[in-house]
Amino acid sequence: MTGQKILMDFPVTPTSHTLADYRARGGYQTLEKVLKGLRPEDVTKEVTAAGIQGRGGALFPAGRKWQVVDPYDGQPHYLCCNADEGEPGTFKDRWILEHAPHQLLESMLIAAYAINARHNFIYIRGEFDLPYRRIAAAVEEAYAAGYFGENILGSGFSCHVVVYRGGGSYVCGEASGLLSSIEGIRGYPRNRPPRLTVHGLYQKPTVVNNVETLANLAWIMKHGAEAYRKIGTAKSPGTRMISISGHVARPGVYEVECGYPWKKFIYEDCGGIPGGRKLKGVIPGGISSQIMTADEVERLSLDHESLWDNGSTLGSGGMIVFAEGTCMVSVLRVMLRFYHHESCGQCTPCRDGLGWLHRIIDRMLAGQGRPQDLETLRYVSKAQDGATICGMSDAAALAAIAMLDKYRDEFEYCITHKRSLYSGNLACPKSS
Amino acid sequence: MPEIFINGQPVQAEADQTVFQAALANGVYIPYFCWHPALSVAGNCRICSVEEEGRGLDISCNMPVKAGMRILTESPDVLAHRKAIMQLLTLNHPVDCGICDKAGECLLQDYHYAHNGSPSISHDPKVRETKFFNLSQRIVLDNERCILCSRCVRFTREISGSNALGIVQRADHAQVRPAEDADFDSDNYSDNVIDICPVGALLSRSFFYKTRVWYMDATPSVCPGCERGCTVHFWHRKPEWKLNSLDPAENTALVRVTPLVNPAVNGHWICNKGRDLGAVFNRKRADGALLKGRPATLAEATAAARTLIAASKRRVALLSNWGSNEELAAFKAALGGLFRTFVKRDHLPQPGEPLKDELLICADKNPNTAGAVALFGDAAVELPADTDLVLVWGEGCDFGRIPKGARIVFLNSWLQPENGHADVFLPISPQTERHGHYTNFAGVVSAFQPCFDGLPGVAHAATLFAELAAPAGGAA
Repeated sequence: MTGQKILMDFPVTPTSHTLADYRARGGYQTLEKVLKGLRPEDVTKEVTAAGIQGRGGALFPAGRKWQVVDPYDGQPHYLCCNADEGEPGTFKDRWILEHAPHQLLESMLIAAYAINARHNFIYIRGEFDLPYRRIAAAVEEAYAAGYFGENILGSGFSCHVVVYRGGGSYVCGEASGLLSSIEGIRGYPRNRPPRLTVHGLYQKPTVVNNVETLANLAWIMKHGAEAYRKIGTAKSPGTRMISISGHVARPGVYEVECGYPWKKFIYEDCGGIPGGRKLKGVIPGGISSQIMTADEVERLSLDHESLWDNGSTLGSGGMIVFAEGTCMVSVLRVMLRFYHHESCGQCTPCRDGLGWLHRIIDRMLAGQGRPQDLETLRYVSKAQDGATICGMSDAAALAAIAMLDKYRDEFEYCITHKRSLYSGNLACPKSS
Repeated sequence: MPEIFINGQPVQAEADQTVFQAALANGVYIPYFCWHPALSVAGNCRICSVEEEGRGLDISCNMPVKAGMRILTESPDVLAHRKAIMQLLTLNHPVDCGICDKAGECLLQDYHYAHNGSPSISHDPKVRETKFFNLSQRIVLDNERCILCSRCVRFTREISGSNALGIVQRADHAQVRPAEDADFDSDNYSDNVIDICPVGALLSRSFFYKTRVWYMDATPSVCPGCERGCTVHFWHRKPEWKLNSLDPAENTALVRVTPLVNPAVNGHWICNKGRDLGAVFNRKRADGALLKGRPATLAEATAAARTLIAASKRRVALLSNWGSNEELAAFKAALGGLFRTFVKRDHLPQPGEPLKDELLICADKNPNTAGAVALFGDAAVELPADTDLVLVWGEGCDFGRIPKGARIVFLNSWLQPENGHADVFLPISPQTERHGHYTNFAGVVSAFQPCFDGLPGVAHAATLFAELAAPAGGAA
């Protein structure tokens, strides 16, 4: 077991995502308690005290984001749920949308109440099919039961929600790009300042939170910030949804208490590496986080500070495991192809630099690497770090530099021998 | 006024300024591509990044001024960043400056020498894109040269309002394209995107491969296309680059017209009609005086006109609102007492021409109506049947309306059939050959300067008026 559960604390059955089942588990009671018993600022205070960090990848404290919005300033506010889960390796929000949509909706209502948002948006990844149908059905159920609409549960609070399907762009998962997309324009991220909590959707104060961040709120308001603080570590309270894939015996979505030993998680909970192979490296939180080698995995635990101090991040919780024998040049190429394809093309370093990186690594794998290529890869990556409107090219650059540094010998081998050290086949034999 | 420090120097900034604006206002130059004073901040070229001490690099065009902030615009990190950005911008740029109309006035060229200067470190093929894409009937787009600064897109959204351009595709395949449901041809200000393009991606059909910009002079002038009186630059061949092998007309042609920034009148823009002033000024010139259609010297014709004036009693003058304030004043001083004066409209709107809009275009298609009306009033033209002399100055007069018995003295710059129908025809200099001022509809006076030397046998109108007023027989 991976410690205390907050989101995955019920058995998944064919009906566990429905309103009836959610109510049977005590659902929507917290909402009633909040709407009738608390003021908006009390909710924000409680969430700030709980210290929950954003689960989308940036790990920004959710309460601090909300504090910027004054619920009584008389202008419209918006709450957007970021369900555009596009980070490669990440599929945890999908689990919540599929299996706990009402928990998300209840939490969104609580959050909307805290920032006095009358209009909520759920921006869901366009490729999601079952998650979309589940959340759309849940919204209908919630409207029918009076949890959305005018005068919710007789409290005088009115709130609406719109499920908006994205067009399938990675950058639209960035908060400001997401808002541009909802507004119906090209999903370009926007310059800060102004912050989105000052001028966001339609130039009004807007809070954008990840699905997992929001889904935790119902639990926090039910049990209190103190109970939440008791889970996880001092600096990273709560649990993390980890979606693990790659060379592990039991890939899937796991809820892990923060501070859980990483090695134990991979080798015991996920069944270790199939075929008895050794561990080569793990990308801890989506491909935008820096890869960690096997001995780093040995000694680290799954929480923000442990990874941060060692030059990586738990990011979006999309863990990818690589066994011995994986060609890291090919891995980097797959990553760069993705980034090149998904760059929105707005800022110079990202637009031209990622294409350049992609072409260099393609050429290396085609056996035409040059000795100066590694230096060029580093130079171009460095040129992107912190040089763009959104964080995408920073993430791409840091991930690429980590890969180059930690597996440098493989890249050098590829250049000098005109072929990869390994077969380049990422597949892993099935464990017997 | 918050005080900030740029490169250690204290600078007084306005509270609503960005660091970029504060630096520019205080003489610190920060390179930029996507920033434009009249457009919103896009922040995508990233070359204006500066270092805020303690906080690292960020773009100055979107950095609000905070009291006490310490900015470095030339630190090693900033210079390395600029160099990297220039490497990236020229990565897929074809560097075909040799055949690019923008060469010589291209920001990318200038910044390459200022901030990079070294050859590309790339060994990979450049991304190929469309060349010679017809964005409209007037504008050609070269996507390979485009650096996607989005100035043109923002122009059509924020200034001209046509929303005719957008960016399609992503990453290094992103391209500027016309919007499906908009018509860039009907944007009356479309050619401004050529000027604001920092590179040679947007090119004018009418200037396409015409000449290199360093062979040209830009003379400050005033657009005579309507009563807005936008200040413009007339571009023409430099006298020292006059080539005998060229068609002589090319040495005295208006090659292109660009806006001259003037917040009081036109800001940064002019309309497409202003770009096409070549159609007005490159017409065939009247280069000799005529007496009833027969060639005569200027002195003979002036003497004949003087005699006609002396011999007539009921004289009417139809004055040109293309005349400068100086010429109009000269007429008033010399001949004002002899004539009943009317201000005529030299040019009327052409069929299909936009009449009036909210940005620049005005309904009266003449430059100095306000200046002329201020001196001579705005009475409708009357030509009583007993008129015995009509002095017509400039175009736009229907000779059929002039009473049969009246003699005609005609002053005009252009070779037109009416010239031969006048009793006396006197050729005068056009706007491109003299100094002067126009008063626009709002009362703003703008100056224009001569682009070319005058033709022999052609006089300035102001000189002619003084001579016509001299006692009869004085000079003949």
